[in-house]
Amino acid sequence: MTAQTADAEPYIPRRARSDVARRALLYALMAGIAAVFFVPFIWTVSTSFKTIPDSVNFTLIPHPWTTAAWHTIWRQYDFELYFKNSFFLAAVIVACNIFLGGLGGYAFARLRFPGRDLLFLLVLGTIMVPDQLRLIPIYVMLTNWHLIENFDGYILINLVTATNLFFMRQYFLTIPRDFEEAAKLDGAGHFKTFWRVMLPLALPAIGALTILQFQGTWNDFFWPVVLFSGNTSHYTVQLALQNLHTEYTTLWPEITAGSIIAIVPVLVVFLAFQRFFVSGAVTAGVKG
Amino acid sequence: MRGARLSEAGWGYGFVLVPIVVFGLFFIYPFIYAIYISFLHWGILGKQPGSSGTYNYAKVLHDPVFHTALKNIAEYTIVVVPLELALGLSLALLINQKIRGRNFFRSAFYFPSIASSVAITTIILFIFSANGLFNHIFGFSTDWFGDGHTVLWGIVGLNAWTTSGTVMIFYLAALQSIPTDVYEAAALDGTRAWRTFWKITFPLLRPAHFFCLVVFGIGALKLFDQAYIIGGPSGGPNYATMTPILYIYNEAFGNYDFGVAAAAGVVYFVIIFGLTVVQRLTVGRQEAA
Repeated sequence: MTAQTADAEPYIPRRARSDVARRALLYALMAGIAAVFFVPFIWTVSTSFKTIPDSVNFTLIPHPWTTAAWHTIWRQYDFELYFKNSFFLAAVIVACNIFLGGLGGYAFARLRFPGRDLLFLLVLGTIMVPDQLRLIPIYVMLTNWHLIENFDGYILINLVTATNLFFMRQYFLTIPRDFEEAAKLDGAGHFKTFWRVMLPLALPAIGALTILQFQGTWNDFFWPVVLFSGNTSHYTVQLALQNLHTEYTTLWPEITAGSIIAIVPVLVVFLAFQRFFVSGAVTAGVKG
Repeated sequence: MRGARLSEAGWGYGFVLVPIVVFGLFFIYPFIYAIYISFLHWGILGKQPGSSGTYNYAKVLHDPVFHTALKNIAEYTIVVVPLELALGLSLALLINQKIRGRNFFRSAFYFPSIASSVAITTIILFIFSANGLFNHIFGFSTDWFGDGHTVLWGIVGLNAWTTSGTVMIFYLAALQSIPTDVYEAAALDGTRAWRTFWKITFPLLRPAHFFCLVVFGIGALKLFDQAYIIGGPSGGPNYATMTPILYIYNEAFGNYDFGVAAAAGVVYFVIIFGLTVVQRLTVGRQEAA
């Protein structure tokens, strides 16, 4: 724990020997914490390959080893459908946020039009409007428009978020103007400049946005529970898992298999784009 | 030149049109509409003509369940936020060393933060059930998340753990922005590590403390997922997991009283807004100084 002067160490050569011991302790501590962090997940994976009678035992290795729970949850409990639902929603919403957030972000960063700053302030103001206040009005609006219990309504209210637009704008501000001027000399219009020049240059920002928004939509529980609760064919993985857990409290092999299905896609995206993830999380300042 | 200006403005409006419509329709308008609904009788029979005056507000403010929700969230937030910050800062300090496998450990500590709240809550319910792994190892027999006395503290532990990774990321960024010559000066002084931390690092991290306090404080006040998954929509056992957001949800979809739900939403918005202002004026003022 008391290791904050790592940078300063070379200036105190006398401590070199105790430094080795300190280092060993540090590694042991970190490995210990990582192990504690992983135990619940390892136990979950193990249980998902157990039979129901075996799932109450405290042995790490399943006996007998079976993939029955995985088959049951994927086919009988329709997680195949819910997986597709979640994936579809996440993909569409990520694409819309890249395009609309990019388009709006670019305009607020670079184009000049009367009232721009006021409109931008309005956009930022929406971050202050909490979901609990939007809950009833949006439920009423979507019901009136017959968009309740279907994907269109959910996608509509998530087309673009102020956070994503702000994030894209901040990135566009860091791109030198030379690129646009070159495009302008080539006779490219404003949309073409955005689409062909600026958006490709913003790839790191798009990467971070994709990961954060994918995570946000994939993990979202609040709006799916409000909008899809009455229609099982529109369940997302999260909603289905919560429902499975409520209905069959002791079906642990199936429930743990479902939990893994609910985590793995985000884990895969995280491992693939870690670099974007960490810098993006700091810049955007959000966790869904 | 003038034509180009006009055209630029036209394109500008065109580009922001859809985002502005989305924000107007699903953020600004609902904000006003929610206040309007809070003054209506809008129950199970649908919207009734005429105003309800302050009836819905009186009902919320005199509802013992709402009081319980406020008490729960106050206890929860006061304990969970310092815990999250302390854990996150400790992890960040560990990671911020010149060591091998830094990226591995950073990812390992961050992992619980990205896992879905439903999945991670379900897993923890499994491990902390009366005859689960935790009790087996440590010899308890408590049903941690089923007992009204322990459930809220269970959620505190769960969320302190899952959020610490995100806090860590913020503190890491802040730690990396501290110039190393500050440490060099301290080292030349012969200042010990523990003292260096309390006298130098901790005060220099003040902007990060303030930022995390606001972000994770507001996050804690919005507790919903874990409460719903563990205690159900009515906040059981015996309202031990009732939170303000869950109260709003339950008034709307359990009791079908949109008027009361909207009023509770407004009341809670005012409370959070007030807390933010107070925080800005006290901690924030010191921060600016």
